[in-house]
Amino acid sequence: MKDKKEDQKHKENQEYREDKKVGVYICYCGGNISDHVDVERVREYVENLPEVAVARTNMFMCSDPGQQLIMDDLKNGTVERVVVASCAPSLHETTFRSAISRAGINPYIYEHANIREQVSWVHHGDQATEKAIKLISMASAKAEQLSPLEPIRVNAKKHATVIGGGVAGLRAAKDMADCGIEVALIEKSQFLGGNLAPLDKIAPTGESAKELLSTLALQVLCHPSITIYAGSVVDSFEGYVGNFTLGVKQVEPLPSKAADSDITAEADISDIQKTNETDKYKKGDYIPFSGVFAVDDADFSNRSDSQNLSVSSNWKSHVIETGVIVIATGFKSYTPNIGEYGYKKIKEVITLPELIKSMADSLNSGRLSSQDSFTMQKGSACSGKVRGLEKFLEIDGRKIRSMAMIHCVGSRQTPGIHQENDSGQLNEYCSRTCCTATLNAANIIRERYPSTRIYDFFRDIRTYGRGQEEIYEKASHNQVIFFRFEADEPPEIIESRESQSGKNFESNSQLNNFPICVKAKDVLTFGEEIEAPVDLVVLATGIEPNDVSDLVQKMKLPVGADRFLLEVHPKLRPVELPVSGIFLAGTCQAPMDIGESCNAAGAAAVKAAAMLAKGYVELDPFVAQINLELCNGCGACVESCLSDGALRIVDIKADGELIKRAEVTPPLCLGCGACVGVCSENAIDIAGWTLRQYEAMVDRIVAENILAVIN
Amino acid sequence: MDKTAMLHRGKILILATETCAYPGADSVGQSHSSYPSNTFILRVRAPVLFPEQFYMDCFRKGISGIIIMSCGEECPYEGAYKALAKRIDRVYQLMKAAALDIRRLRLTAICTVCNRAFLKEINQMNELIDEIGVPINEEAEL
Repeated sequence: MKDKKEDQKHKENQEYREDKKVGVYICYCGGNISDHVDVERVREYVENLPEVAVARTNMFMCSDPGQQLIMDDLKNGTVERVVVASCAPSLHETTFRSAISRAGINPYIYEHANIREQVSWVHHGDQATEKAIKLISMASAKAEQLSPLEPIRVNAKKHATVIGGGVAGLRAAKDMADCGIEVALIEKSQFLGGNLAPLDKIAPTGESAKELLSTLALQVLCHPSITIYAGSVVDSFEGYVGNFTLGVKQVEPLPSKAADSDITAEADISDIQKTNETDKYKKGDYIPFSGVFAVDDADFSNRSDSQNLSVSSNWKSHVIETGVIVIATGFKSYTPNIGEYGYKKIKEVITLPELIKSMADSLNSGRLSSQDSFTMQKGSACSGKVRGLEKFLEIDGRKIRSMAMIHCVGSRQTPGIHQENDSGQLNEYCSRTCCTATLNAANIIRERYPSTRIYDFFRDIRTYGRGQEEIYEKASHNQVIFFRFEADEPPEIIESRESQSGKNFESNSQLNNFPICVKAKDVLTFGEEIEAPVDLVVLATGIEPNDVSDLVQKMKLPVGADRFLLEVHPKLRPVELPVSGIFLAGTCQAPMDIGESCNAAGAAAVKAAAMLAKGYVELDPFVAQINLELCNGCGACVESCLSDGALRIVDIKADGELIKRAEVTPPLCLGCGACVGVCSENAIDIAGWTLRQYEAMVDRIVAENILAVIN
Repeated sequence: MDKTAMLHRGKILILATETCAYPGADSVGQSHSSYPSNTFILRVRAPVLFPEQFYMDCFRKGISGIIIMSCGEECPYEGAYKALAKRIDRVYQLMKAAALDIRRLRLTAICTVCNRAFLKEINQMNELIDEIGVPINEEAEL
């Protein structure tokens, strides 16, 4: 077997050396490279490499004249493989591949040598020149072995599926439908709107969340190209870009809020009671704190594609054939642990969403004017009642003379300081939206109830973004009193009968009249210990990703250490997943505000629409390829494959006999190379990134004198 | 270090993932932070591609140290990092059997902006190979 492999290698070496002519094009980059690298010396050296037909230099190889050099050499047959030595490939790899295509040549006969970011900007003098020679020599050794590759073309259904009916999902669905794409929107609750639904005025603009959501949801509901599967979840997944098949199963109706996995028992009862009320809703109704009702009697019976309708386990299921998928599964608000800042042990301690819901419930029952309600996230289980008096905020019939708001609850958690959740995880990230939401709430309370004093306990104030810093300034003008604490010395919540003397704020007699004392060491006054007597403590809880483990498992989605879904690269390939044809929109990816969620959704929609526009999808050809002569059909590659269905063992006929060999389904292959590393016969490789190419590059690295070694 | 010394310094191979560590190396360049020129970066889609023998061959050919700069747990290929970690364990076994110092091979995670970590890894590996030298004496055993 070894002889067979050696023969094959020798044969291929001969073939490459005889047929392939490499052109090397070295860029001065206007001095960025040539200030540190002796470019002409590099050219003289590399043009003597055995595989190199010509080496040229240019002040800016990415300029039109520079590209023309390459195109001319390709057109007149001087070169058959191209190496460009210039800046990072992320900047101009596409530029040069495009130039090669314009010359009528396959663009995959190109390799890049990064001699700016990885040479002239980090090394100097002779060392920089020597290193540039090495890198170009390595690239040339690889280029010699490159073969023309064809993009993988698969027919694509002009149909997109959005999973999640929050603001990001709605935005993505609308944008794609407007591009002429049929869209299916799957939402597990019966309502559209997600975490936008419980908001009122959106900070910092003051827009009405109800109007925004109603407008967007109705545009989606009325759009002839959008089909909504409300009260449904994805039950099965298979296929590849352009040709995904999703099984959708209707689930027991629950309002959107109750669909969150972490709701309390108290909320469950309330929601189930509310579920019975959904009978009286009609499609398009805006239901406060739940969203826009999206179910009608016709659901699952009058769809244009109802031929695929089936019924199982008393609930209906459906099959969707789709070209791309946008995941917009959103977030949930952090639920503090029992006892965290006294939560669920001291009745006066609630979360900000709970406060907001109490305010909104009161508003709906007519006890407050609309200006009393304010913006926050949803998710409340609080049943408290709020009433506006002349001077004081009132909750549960209690006058709130002063209240404390504590930031970073469930965000920026530190190992060794904060308590891990049941899965041993901490939320080490900043939730980004809670500072603004908290201060916006503080402003509204201070303006409406000027006698209600607010103490704001923060670690850092992060009111980033346009118009949000002004909310912070406004809070200062509104006499919100700020205290800063360190992560390892958070405020203590003490029921007043346990508290110490009320120094710094109130006299003892005053303190004794308050049910709670918040004790903290204030960093702003160099560690002074303060005690704030309050009637209410509000915890500014952060954002956590919704539990989408089922989707993660079915679709092989990458998840970050923070448990949010992970795009391939935030700058090079934003909102894309490594599984081609699946995109991310909104807070399933990271904490975002509404505007950012809509931006991400728009990006995902545009990428999806561009992918489907031609009716077919062209994928990078960097996928596994089998050498059938070397493959022995052992199946190790199939076992190691990270993408279900990308590799399989099939029977093929050879010399009249059936033999087993590996077969690749290119659209399903991720091109990761997990199969390459386990093949004992070296029978499998990733096109364009082969093991032999890497070995040739290593040979050039270790060669002390490349020309001497090669000759 | 002067030029002569530099030329005789052991070579470090860096396998850098195209989505994380390779842009990370570019980021170091964009910040104009210098590091020794005996480092050679190969852009890879995922280092799980390389079989055990690739690493052993590199050492046999004279590579003094290999740093695998992966995406770590944030690898875009679900499951690839775990498979890589298992493979590197097997490479360590082969290195031990060949009396190669296993510190010559290091698996680490470098993100697109991990400039300090990138430089730290390179400096540490250089300190090591300055201390233990190139693996030429061990070639016959590989």
